[in-house]
Amino acid sequence: MSQQLVANVVVLAAIYALVSAGYVLVYRVSRVLNLAHGELMMVGAYLLVATAGLFSGNPLVGLLLAAVCGLVMGIAVYAVLMRWMTGEAVLASVLITIALGILLRGLSILIWTTQQLYPAATFGWHNPPVAIGPGVRISAASVAIVILAAAVYAALFVFLQFTRWGVRMRAAGQNPLLAEQRGIRLHGVYAFAWGLSTFTASLAGMLLALDSGVESTMATIGLKAFPAALVGGLDSLFGAVIGAVIVAAAEIAAIQYVNPLLSDVVPFVVLLIVLAIRPWGLFGSREQLDRV
Amino acid sequence: MSGDDAHARELAMLGTARAQVRFAVVLAILVALPFVATPFQLDLANQVLLASIGALALMLLTGFAGLISLGTAGLLAAGAYTVGVLVREVGAPFWLTLPAAAAIGACLGLIFGLPSLRLRGLYLAISTLGLHFVVVYLGGEYEARATLSTGIMIDSPSIAGWTLSSGRAWYFVLLGFAALAVLISVNLHRTRTGRAWRALRERDVVAGALGIDVQRFKLMAFVVSATMTAVAGALFAYFRNFVSIDAFSLYLTVQYVAMIIIGGMGSIPGAVLGAAFVIVFPYAIEAIAGYLPARFGNMVFALDYAAFGVVMILFLLLEPDGLIGIWQRMRNWYVARRAGAAPMKARR
Amino acid sequence: MRVPPLLHFAAAIAVAGLLPLAGAKADDAYTIGVTAAMTGPAAATQAPVIEMLRIYVDNLNAKGGINGHRINLLVEDDQAEPSKAAANATKLIRQDNVMLLIDSSLSSTYGPVIAESKRANVPLWFAGAVCPKGTHPPKPEPTLFCSTGFDFGYDIPVAVDAIKAAAKGPVKIGMIGMPIPISRIGIENAQKQGEKLGMTTVDTEFIPPTAADYTPFATKLKQNEPNWAFAYAPWPTEVRTFEALRRLGWSGTYLCYGHIQAEEELKRVADGGFQVFTVNAFFQDNLPVQKEIREVAAKGKYSYPATYADEGWITGRALEQILTKAGWPANAEKIAAAMATLNLDTQGLRGGPLVWTSDNHFRTKQYYRFYRYDPEQKGIVRMRDWLTVDVVN
Repeated sequence: MSQQLVANVVVLAAIYALVSAGYVLVYRVSRVLNLAHGELMMVGAYLLVATAGLFSGNPLVGLLLAAVCGLVMGIAVYAVLMRWMTGEAVLASVLITIALGILLRGLSILIWTTQQLYPAATFGWHNPPVAIGPGVRISAASVAIVILAAAVYAALFVFLQFTRWGVRMRAAGQNPLLAEQRGIRLHGVYAFAWGLSTFTASLAGMLLALDSGVESTMATIGLKAFPAALVGGLDSLFGAVIGAVIVAAAEIAAIQYVNPLLSDVVPFVVLLIVLAIRPWGLFGSREQLDRV
Repeated sequence: MSGDDAHARELAMLGTARAQVRFAVVLAILVALPFVATPFQLDLANQVLLASIGALALMLLTGFAGLISLGTAGLLAAGAYTVGVLVREVGAPFWLTLPAAAAIGACLGLIFGLPSLRLRGLYLAISTLGLHFVVVYLGGEYEARATLSTGIMIDSPSIAGWTLSSGRAWYFVLLGFAALAVLISVNLHRTRTGRAWRALRERDVVAGALGIDVQRFKLMAFVVSATMTAVAGALFAYFRNFVSIDAFSLYLTVQYVAMIIIGGMGSIPGAVLGAAFVIVFPYAIEAIAGYLPARFGNMVFALDYAAFGVVMILFLLLEPDGLIGIWQRMRNWYVARRAGAAPMKARR
Repeated sequence: MRVPPLLHFAAAIAVAGLLPLAGAKADDAYTIGVTAAMTGPAAATQAPVIEMLRIYVDNLNAKGGINGHRINLLVEDDQAEPSKAAANATKLIRQDNVMLLIDSSLSSTYGPVIAESKRANVPLWFAGAVCPKGTHPPKPEPTLFCSTGFDFGYDIPVAVDAIKAAAKGPVKIGMIGMPIPISRIGIENAQKQGEKLGMTTVDTEFIPPTAADYTPFATKLKQNEPNWAFAYAPWPTEVRTFEALRRLGWSGTYLCYGHIQAEEELKRVADGGFQVFTVNAFFQDNLPVQKEIREVAAKGKYSYPATYADEGWITGRALEQILTKAGWPANAEKIAAAMATLNLDTQGLRGGPLVWTSDNHFRTKQYYRFYRYDPEQKGIVRMRDWLTVDVVN
């Protein structure tokens, strides 16, 4: 049975890691904590519902279209809203993201109601179980999540290390002033970071929707993934993976050996412990822990 | 006039005759209100007064001392649950439960405040967020195990046979508490503590270099704020005669943060105005929703959420000084006009 | 110049006072108030009920109303939060002077709403939401009524007995719930009932609603190798746990309470071992009234599938009968009196009429049906026709 537990941890960690990538991207590049990330993930899932309705015979087109819309959504959020907060106090930026989250929640209900929706059913896909070892089974959508999380992180690594835009983003994150003086257009870099962030969030949301449906309270999963990003270090992608594994393991251990009800609060207990011992996370850069 | 006289007048809160007259007029309005308002408007006023206490507490912490906290809902819950647990387990009367709630608030303030000794800004906010979830979890566990049903019913407080339950009676009680909260805030602002807090908010490293005991004042800010918030939570429990953990969500915290932002960060009247705005807002949305097509009229509720998000965004983007900022700009414009100057252009 | 802060109190409160607030004072209409979880956690189950009620009332008004007078339905959202429910009750009763208050929200919000309605002597009707004790015989509270189909006091014994009857051999059962009061109490009762009937409860899981993945909970359940599972929780929990169990390779039979989403979902899940018990008939029974409901829902632009509308429909029809009986001019007392004599033909949606009497504001009989999906017939089959249970004091 412990192999099944390991598999469960891997799946949950993949979910948290995929969501955390977005937190880290935005924070690392623009030092803004995006507390609307959960809601953006949820909108991504709803986008899949919308494209599923249009392309029910063609799942791949639907997925791709929804993902692209997710990317565009992130750029739009930056261009319309976050752009004006560049350079403003950190607290104000965070609060604006909270307000954005509330706005998105309201809009989602206005557009899609509170009903639980299943894009997988629209595509006619039954999410079969997959045996990945002796006595170990997970759903096909979960396999997709794990593979996709790995692919996304690999792609992000290559992107940030080796491509021009990636280097620009890292530069902007390390020292915005110098970067701007070197000719890197910060607004463009930030917009792209936001786009990538919502792109990954949408992917996570879509896969979760294919696995177990989407409804208006899905955004709280985004909030539960946040401790994973913090534990690893808000500006470290590698840290986000490690953090996701730690939080997922703690949560599943709590369910299995202590009390299932703790699963809601365990991520935040882990968060508090890390904040007490090493606030900048395991792999984060030890910044001056900014002030407002 | 002698130096003593002038100094005393400086210190007094209502130093000039003008201020005294204004105060008297305001007092008259406030006292007359419950006798002219409809029952619903009275209930609304009571909600505003109650919210003001929490808003002022948050304003002390974040507006004055610059310490970000997302723990308001958890602290309100702590105050409300102290009352609930004491009433349910031992049938304690209000003159025991209220001080108990204050004491619990103070303890929690200490706990919530400890991270502030090491963390600042974002990380401090995150730590208070984590603590919020822990408090809410504990409250939920108590409710599930001990009551196994639908929250805790609490009888209205009573003294010597007279029960506090009518809207009017509550109005004066809440007005008293709110006035007390305002008094405390004003006093803290004008004295050494307030100045120390303002120094902390600007640059706590420099404040420390100036000889201000940074740790002590940070903790004091949290303790004072948490105590006030817990008392507000306790009053809330008695006002609604009911306590249940569902009421204390993250959205409640966001609403209080919105109150101090919309009202104007760092401003005492701003906290009150912000409280009034946020409390009344959903009802205003509802009034508008009546004119929308049925499809959206049905979803007034989601509309409220969305509209609240939009309003918060608008204030953060366009009017960071909040309603007080708008008020001050209007006043400046008016004063400049009266003095004959050309009207001042808006700041942005 | 320092402006005394109290001035701002006055300004704030004056603003609140002068604000023109909605609340049509239509003196020639029946004013009915509703407080419901239209958004928030419980909305998925409650909002469809009230939306159909609204459509039904709109249709009644279009046909000229009742006794020649319109029905003014005032719906307030309480987001399943007690403080909001309390504020709604205060507003509807004191400001809008409703003659009747309908509550369709989580049981955790009931306390203050019941208190306010009692204080004002306005009848309070629980529709589509948990029936509180005060509505049950022999001596219900004079102002509390409940038309909701389910009730854990009867659901649990019926379901557990059904499992025992259907099982061939010893039953090892896993229990699934959610940490909300009704589910906790329901599951605990199920455990006791199971014990009485000789079943072994091998594991119980209370799953929080925010779980990102149900597999860990299902893993724990499956480890204990139950051959049956029973779930009594909101629908998403019930169905997701089942799907997680199946994915892990569990092959037992799963019985759970069928909420309004059940009919649509049974087709989606398409598994013969997934059984539900319900209090309202499924639309596949093709009753004439169900055809009517589909038409009304389509015309009224109901935002949910028509199969979600039966509870709201029953509520609407009951309201129609009550107001007709109450006559005009009406007030809270007359409506309460009319409610105490309700005898509503449910047109086959339930196993029998919904009857209220002066010492029973719940009903005289409780009816259940059992359904499952049949993979061979590729459709939903009814396993069992109406099972009638007498409501005892």
